[in-house]
Amino acid sequence: MTLNLLLRRTHIYLALFLLSWFGMYGISSLPFSHPKWFEPPEGGPRPSVRFDRSYQIEVPQTSDLRETGARILQDNGLQGSFGVYQPNPQRLNVYLFSFWSATEITYFIDQKRLLAEDRPFRWSSFLTGLHARGGFEQESLLNDAWGVLVDLVCLGFLVWIGTGLYMWWQLKPTRFWGGLALGGGFLVFVLFLWRL
Amino acid sequence: MFSKFLRRSHLYLALFLTPWILINALSTLAMNHRQFFAKPGDNPVHFEKESEQTYNGTFPVQATARQMALQLLKGLNLERAFSVQAKPEGERITILRQDPISPRRITFAPKSGMLVVERQVFSTHTFLERMHRRRGYQHHRLLEDAWAVSVDMVIAAMVFWALSGVWMWWELRSTRVWGGACLLLGVGLFGLFLFSI
Repeated sequence: MTLNLLLRRTHIYLALFLLSWFGMYGISSLPFSHPKWFEPPEGGPRPSVRFDRSYQIEVPQTSDLRETGARILQDNGLQGSFGVYQPNPQRLNVYLFSFWSATEITYFIDQKRLLAEDRPFRWSSFLTGLHARGGFEQESLLNDAWGVLVDLVCLGFLVWIGTGLYMWWQLKPTRFWGGLALGGGFLVFVLFLWRL
Repeated sequence: MFSKFLRRSHLYLALFLTPWILINALSTLAMNHRQFFAKPGDNPVHFEKESEQTYNGTFPVQATARQMALQLLKGLNLERAFSVQAKPEGERITILRQDPISPRRITFAPKSGMLVVERQVFSTHTFLERMHRRRGYQHHRLLEDAWAVSVDMVIAAMVFWALSGVWMWWELRSTRVWGGACLLLGVGLFGLFLFSI
């Protein structure tokens, strides 16, 4: 197999394998760019309360609250991917999520009270959830595998750029207009970096 | 003719949008590996003081925080997209003035007239993340809108590349079997993730 053929086949097979992610990242960028298009009329349905009960846990004075979040979930029979944040000194929020559902668990530190609310399904949340999912902080193999695939998509972008440039240069009749497009793109981008 | 048009569009659009795709790939890599750049919960954004002065100007009666911010930015010759936060009772106004390379934080205390300008310390990963997140038409500046249009163009291009790529693959008969296998494997894997995590 020649280098030329290898690069062409890599470009196409990698693209076909990652097509679902590629299409997903394209479409799921829309709610970020045009949030108003996805706003439900009159605010949409409200979250439903799953439980609201007395609960007590020590919240440590640390920026890393993941362990505390895991304990809250475990104590209350909940499991899944989650994130933890403290919006103010009197509250701790644990956000439990999958692509299809999300539950916001709020611990009111001063009241020693735990409230869990299920958010209704919304297409904008589904798409932004797909788009923003990544990293390796969740304690599950499949989540890590998703993180690896996100890396693979990024490497795919770099490979497509490299192999694409190579294939373009092989097509002599396209060099002038292609060079103009490439140069124009960089020029516009630098203008944005400078003046934005 | 249609096939040639599709191939050329796929190619020229990709060449023009190369810098956007490059930044998108690098920034996503950086965001996927945040733990390399900062400990969980730590703020990766740091500012250093650029100037401190007493502001002697006056504001219109009942000026909003946004109107005051705009006037301050004009005075500092730092007019660009920004967001503003005002502490209760007008104790302090904090302006976050956007810039791809060096965003600034401007703090103004109306009672003392103290105006402090701080520049965000440059780091590659915060720069990449900033570029990744910059979008939308909310700033009412021509250049901001032009950037938002370019982001929309990338979104449309991604969908177009996917569709035109499948078309071009199907025309290459010798790649149909392995290409089909790659496509099915990818779709299957994506479906598995969709319903399991």
